Amino acid sequence: MIGYILRRLAALGLTLLAAAVVIFVVLEILPGDPAAVTLGLNAAPEALAALRAEMGLDKPAVLRFLLWLGGLATGDLGQSYTYRVPVLQLIAERMAVTLPLALMAIALATAIGIPLGMLAASRHGRLTDAGVMAFAQAGLAIPNFWFGLLLVLVFAVGLGWLPAGGFPGWQAGIGVSLKALLMPALALALPQAAIIARVTRSSMLDTLQEDFVRTARAKGLSEGTTMRRHALRNALIPVVTILGLQFSVLIAGAIIIENVFALPGLGRLVFQAIAQHDLIVVKDLVMLFAGLAILINFAVELLYGLIDPRLRQS
Amino acid sequence: MTTRRELLAGAGLAALAAQLPVVALAQAKDSVTIAQTLEPPTLDPTSGAAQAIREVTLQNIFEGLVKVDRTGKIQPCLAESWQIADDNVTYRFKLRQGAKFHDGTPFTAEQVKFSFERAVAADSTNAQRQLFTPIAEITTPDPATVVIKLKQPTANFLFGLAWGDAVIVAPATAASNKTNPVGTGPFKFVRWNRGDRLELARNDGYWGEKPALAKATFRFMSDPQAQVAALRAGDVDAHTNLSAPEAVPQLKADAKLKVTIGGTEGETVLATNNAKPPFDNLKVRQAIAHALDRKTIALGVYGFDVPLIGSHFSPLHPAYVDLTGTYPYDPAKAKALLAEAGFPNGFNCTLKLPPPSYARRSGEIVAALLAQIGINAAIEPLEFPQWLERVFRNKDYDLSIIAHTEPLDIDIYARDGYYFQYKNPEFKALIAKISETLDDGARNELYKQAQRKLAQDAVNGFLFILPKITVVNAALEGMWTDWPLPVTPLAELRWR
Amino acid sequence: MSAVQDKAPGGKRHWWLAPSFVIGIVLAMLVVAAALTSYVWTPYQPTQMMILNRLKGPSAANWFGTDQFGRDVFSMIMVGARNSLAVGLGAVGIGMVAGTALGLAASVRRDGILDHIIMRTADFTHAFPAVLTAIMMTAIAGPGMLNAIVAIAVLNLPYFARLSRGAALQVWAQDFIQAARAAGLNNRQITLRHVLPNIAGILVVQATIQFALAVLAEAGLSYLGLGTQPPNPSWGRMLNEAQTFMATQPWLAIFPGAAIALTVLGFNLLGDGLRDAVDPRLRRAR
Repeated sequence: MIGYILRRLAALGLTLLAAAVVIFVVLEILPGDPAAVTLGLNAAPEALAALRAEMGLDKPAVLRFLLWLGGLATGDLGQSYTYRVPVLQLIAERMAVTLPLALMAIALATAIGIPLGMLAASRHGRLTDAGVMAFAQAGLAIPNFWFGLLLVLVFAVGLGWLPAGGFPGWQAGIGVSLKALLMPALALALPQAAIIARVTRSSMLDTLQEDFVRTARAKGLSEGTTMRRHALRNALIPVVTILGLQFSVLIAGAIIIENVFALPGLGRLVFQAIAQHDLIVVKDLVMLFAGLAILINFAVELLYGLIDPRLRQS
Repeated sequence: MTTRRELLAGAGLAALAAQLPVVALAQAKDSVTIAQTLEPPTLDPTSGAAQAIREVTLQNIFEGLVKVDRTGKIQPCLAESWQIADDNVTYRFKLRQGAKFHDGTPFTAEQVKFSFERAVAADSTNAQRQLFTPIAEITTPDPATVVIKLKQPTANFLFGLAWGDAVIVAPATAASNKTNPVGTGPFKFVRWNRGDRLELARNDGYWGEKPALAKATFRFMSDPQAQVAALRAGDVDAHTNLSAPEAVPQLKADAKLKVTIGGTEGETVLATNNAKPPFDNLKVRQAIAHALDRKTIALGVYGFDVPLIGSHFSPLHPAYVDLTGTYPYDPAKAKALLAEAGFPNGFNCTLKLPPPSYARRSGEIVAALLAQIGINAAIEPLEFPQWLERVFRNKDYDLSIIAHTEPLDIDIYARDGYYFQYKNPEFKALIAKISETLDDGARNELYKQAQRKLAQDAVNGFLFILPKITVVNAALEGMWTDWPLPVTPLAELRWR
Repeated sequence: MSAVQDKAPGGKRHWWLAPSFVIGIVLAMLVVAAALTSYVWTPYQPTQMMILNRLKGPSAANWFGTDQFGRDVFSMIMVGARNSLAVGLGAVGIGMVAGTALGLAASVRRDGILDHIIMRTADFTHAFPAVLTAIMMTAIAGPGMLNAIVAIAVLNLPYFARLSRGAALQVWAQDFIQAARAAGLNNRQITLRHVLPNIAGILVVQATIQFALAVLAEAGLSYLGLGTQPPNPSWGRMLNEAQTFMATQPWLAIFPGAAIALTVLGFNLLGDGLRDAVDPRLRRAR
């Protein structure tokens, strides 16, 4: 067991290292000079050289890679080329927007998706099922950024209940901040909720056909107990997988949604950093996103074993 | 937000005092919230080219020896007065007495010397280092006098001192200005919520006239939808340059707001690689010029009229001549010229576009217009860093569209290795002469000659001037509506 | 458990008559028809600019109105359908075939070397958020339709790999696999005869979701300016350009958004109908 975990951890470390190499190499290939972006069209060659030296870009690539890795390991993410402040500080500032946004979206999506999916499965073939599926179909079909735009059209432009975009900052008050995040979170959550509802339903239906569920029914357990005690547990495997897999989708969604609503979050930061060639921020952020996704996948794998005892044995 | 809360606080006081007239409410408003599209990357105008840095800091937090007023004229600032000696290279500045930095450091000649020497030093990261390279020597005979000797007469030296790159900084705080700017200006830095807002407060120790406003907040809103909503809701009192021209009719219809379309120094050009066949052929460039229906382009991009140009010069400058008629829109003539040049069936080329929407939009229209005369220009969008690398630095392009926003930058056509690859000794001589001519009248005549030369040679497709779309609360006075230099002086704002 | 044992549905209703399936077929055919028709006919040239006729609302002359350059939105949406379908098919096709093959191969020996290599590579690919992958790909190779297809296929591949592996592992753990093995079938035969048919249902469901996601992802990339480039119309880019006109010319945002939503809806419903046809267990359940 310990050997197994150690092997998985080693694989995890290798994956992270490989991710670091790929990210670094890709950003090396990317044409463009961060110093030129900062200094603009009239920049003197001496000024560019001086700024490159200040940014540490005059060192050879291998050395910069090692310095970056060393920095990552010790928690020093370097200094942003554009903003000239520690990247860690930038990430911390933006995290205060993206994390609540993502949590709100996941909470909304699971709170809507799982119950709806179970409801639909238990009322299979009836009107409720059709209604849930219609909702899921709509949720899957509507692009989240378009949904965001429609929300703006109705609740900001039309009714004036919610701000059209921007984020006042937490110090302005929790109420107004949550208000600013409500539409983006809803836009982000809609397709997730639909996916979760669908997968929960289809997985429940599959599980309900399994022999052990039939046995449970045959033993005379009530439908509700059967669902909760036997079916749900097994039906959750694909749901957990999907939740894990959705993390990247959520990040991707956040990049677009934060741009739609002009939210100063991580997604917007990475988009702007790429546009401004703030490569150190791009490197750190992509590594952060990739690392988180890798860790979540790792956790999903472990959860597999916990949920399904049969898989634990092998 | 701030303004509302203060109004409420004011209302509470008024209710307590009971006798106070309602007018007190209006008088209580001494703060302003101004939206602008782009957020500055740092707050130090001496270490980066981003226009947004100047927009928020210049003439607010930082000041130079001189400043530009809203008509583009040079006015005294930290220098009370100056004299240029008969040798045309010795500038003697008499400095403002009693000016102080926000941290209390007195302003003296030493800081002027420090600032300029820092800007021209070998390891300087000043984006406009060329402004300072003419300097031969800086001396400080007394704490209130600076004498600058130039290597050769430089007509625009004084104008350059009004730019953000030439603001006076103190040695002790120069390095930390990027995040904690300390200047001599009428407003001082309070807080910067990156990604959202920058808060400034009145500098009560200011040497000049006390600003009417006690607090000012810049809010950075890149989303046009949010800009419009915030303006209409009164969440912001003004927008310095709206990024959503399509919202103009809607905002104009709002009686609470005042919308002005003003000019800037941003000449938008169809940059052409003059060294690369077939664009090295004058007839081909003339054909392109005849194919560009500027009015249609401007209308398609903005939906309203913006100043059109026929050369690389802004109508804001007194030396401007209207050359839009040099090669009027005439597709038939354009086709004929192409045929003369040996391309009766046109040719294929690329049109590389940087990200701003004016470039992307005019690019689509320009491509459609060029298609009419047989030139098939394939659109290639680029991020700005890639544009800088491929188009600007490596000159790996056929056509591109970009606005050149530096003021009075017609001299770029005389620079060696500049990406237009326009090599004309006659034009270079003209620019050299302009630089040596200190007399305004004579210099303006030379500027006119230079404009004509570029127009005739059809060096680039000259399109339009970037408009400044200013939207202000009708009760707020003093906002600049033209941008001879992109600044938003808060000290000139007051509530009616 | 093989499909052969299942007789036709219990008689209550036929899967192909389900109303949602019919709606799906109609919508999907409508989109395909629009894409095909656009090769021979559109009301106007989709690239033809008539600036003086800009931002006109829907009318008899321009059914969906005109955009900021005076182009006919209806014509642009017709031509835009080609783009969405091509990217969706290309990306999901590549992703499903390659991903499922890898997932099945990995599932044969849980925790075997192959399993580790494939799954770690899948984790690895999946670890990069698709939009970031696409943004960086376009920064290097330049934006365009082909890069969008590749970027979205790269996003799809690990989905199918992980999902098929996860589902296949459950099948491998079942008793009848032992029976098949006892009957002398090798791993490849078991995979093709027993595992693949048993996970086909969930794969088809996932493929419909992925097709929907691919069309959506293409729209998202185009919305960010990273998809098909002008003058070729794409729905996502139309939405991006429409965003600033939301308050005054909402049709510019409503029609392309609706086109995306209806296309995705159509193919989803179609896929669901097919699922009922493919999945023997669910059909028997009726």
